[in-house]
Amino acid sequence: MHIDLTELSLLTPIFRELLKGFHISRREPELYAQLSNLQDAYRTLFKALGFELVCDTRGFYYFVPEQMGAQVNKTAQRLALFTFIMVEHLADQGRDPLSVLDGGSLGRDELPALLEKYRDLFLQAEVQTQDELEEKILRRLTQLGFASEDNGIYRFLPPMHRFLDVCLAVQQDRDLAATLHSNLPLPVPALVDDDADSLSSPSAGDNEDELARAIAEERAHQETEA
Amino acid sequence: MPKLTLYQAMQYNWLFCVDSLAMIDPKRVLRALAEHWAQLDPLCEHFDSGTLSLVELRARLGAQLPDSTPADITALLDAWIRLDILVPVAKSPNRFELNAQIHDFLAYLRREHRLGLCLEIEAYLRHLERLAAHIQDAFEARDSNELARQLRLLDMRVRDVLKKLSNDEHALVGVAERAKTSDRQIPLRQRYAEVLATWDEYVEPMIQLVSADGIFEKGVNRVEHVLLRLMGEQHRLGQLVDDDLLLRTHARILEMQTTAQLSLRRARELLLPLREEARRHNAITRGAALALSAIRRKGLDAVPQTAMPLFSRPQSVFLGTASQVESYVYALAHFEPKPAQFPKASESRKETARSKAPRTAREMLDRCENALPMPDLMIWLLDQEPEGATDELLYWFSRLSRDSRFQRERLPRRDYDTAKHRVSLCSFALSARDTASNTHAH
Repeated sequence: MHIDLTELSLLTPIFRELLKGFHISRREPELYAQLSNLQDAYRTLFKALGFELVCDTRGFYYFVPEQMGAQVNKTAQRLALFTFIMVEHLADQGRDPLSVLDGGSLGRDELPALLEKYRDLFLQAEVQTQDELEEKILRRLTQLGFASEDNGIYRFLPPMHRFLDVCLAVQQDRDLAATLHSNLPLPVPALVDDDADSLSSPSAGDNEDELARAIAEERAHQETEA
Repeated sequence: MPKLTLYQAMQYNWLFCVDSLAMIDPKRVLRALAEHWAQLDPLCEHFDSGTLSLVELRARLGAQLPDSTPADITALLDAWIRLDILVPVAKSPNRFELNAQIHDFLAYLRREHRLGLCLEIEAYLRHLERLAAHIQDAFEARDSNELARQLRLLDMRVRDVLKKLSNDEHALVGVAERAKTSDRQIPLRQRYAEVLATWDEYVEPMIQLVSADGIFEKGVNRVEHVLLRLMGEQHRLGQLVDDDLLLRTHARILEMQTTAQLSLRRARELLLPLREEARRHNAITRGAALALSAIRRKGLDAVPQTAMPLFSRPQSVFLGTASQVESYVYALAHFEPKPAQFPKASESRKETARSKAPRTAREMLDRCENALPMPDLMIWLLDQEPEGATDELLYWFSRLSRDSRFQRERLPRRDYDTAKHRVSLCSFALSARDTASNTHAH
């Protein structure tokens, strides 16, 4: 396939966003429009570079991670937990979970009640306060393109369907009861974002670890020489 | 013409009113409908969902006609009752409803369609079959008048079916529109109740009816067969009725068949996505509840075996923030090799070991993995690095115990002696994480 790079005028921002794990939806109209119009060219180019671009028909694009499920993905767990909680909470209130989680919104003022109601579950995700809920979950959702925030209102975007799909998959899992009672370790999602924020963190991956160490050593060396 | 006052209407039962219908001048009814359309139109919606008491009627009309006196409203209601536009509800003479015939007529004028029953179509089809039998009998008896009459009846019945299919289709559009435009905040069950009920009570039986071996197809085939045979026999035995009448009836029968199939297809296209949406909602809600139940029982790690979304950034190409990259590049640009320091011959092995480069995470992870199952991580670390600094040992303890490739089990708190300190902590027993289940899930 012939790819004309001059056509891909937004290649840099698109690649940068996708590489960050961001989901591009209509919320980013320019990037989304170019991805939609030149979908095949982008997909082919990214594939040649070793990235798999997923074009979800529900209106969003993202990169498939390189190593599926290779690492504990705390953020994915937290976001999935938040989605489960939201669905149950909205259903309890007699509201339509799908309409809220696909294009609907949640006010910041609703968070305290949500936190109180599901305190035990949020505790497992190391979320105890509203600040932590916003920092560890809602900010992540916005950073990854699952939601947007405007004046204390969080609006959920089409990529949330990825988590709603998890609900469907769980519902279809007929062996769930067996899974619940099994002692076998269960799969966990992969995520790096919560660890990758700081390169100097010892818990980051090997490459980052080594890179940070190299930088620190060089700095120390320069200071000594100075 | 009976002069029924409001009071009198309340005294008489509904049967009397029905009886009086035949005596009302149609022109006066039509004139009243035209004249009072502005008042009747909004009332129709209320009558769609039930009856209205006299007080309610007066209140609504009073709101619509703010300049009118109570006597005007009484006169208006009297007129409607006299013309049989309003009739008292049977056994509840103080409540009123629209005359059923007028109500249907107004619904037609207001382009409102109430979904009929699939059974009605079935009954029409049975009737068409009976008419086909009568046509055959009339032809065999060579009774041209009876044949023409039965053909006209057949034609009218087919038109009835077409009218009903068209009405039902409009009604189905209304059902879909109401579900789509209703308040998104109302309970799902309520929002989709009409769609689900319509599917179960109308669309599903219609699918059976219009299927290849259903009553509809059988009935149409039988009537068509009779008409075609009739046309053939007419040519042979001589004409009893005009061929055009036969051809027109035949064409209408075929039109009815096509319309029924198209109507059903449109009904499916309209309602199936909504029905699936309702089902999807149910599945999502149930799935979320199951997932939360699993997490409550086994913690956050016990996410059920399912395809979790993955959105990690590829680590191998990740560099970091701009300032970090900048400092790294700066460091590279000013890189100068350090002078190699060779150990002196007099130095002991112990000193050499102390100055060795720190192990990489990968190396430690590999060593740890090779030593599985490990009854106590801290003891293993002390064995590996008996002279290791306490902070380094604790770093490796933290790093290794949190790695995803190991399954960990917390041990009771106890003291451990490093080269220089005594630390008290809850160590872990490590074992290999089952990779089979991981692979299965992804």
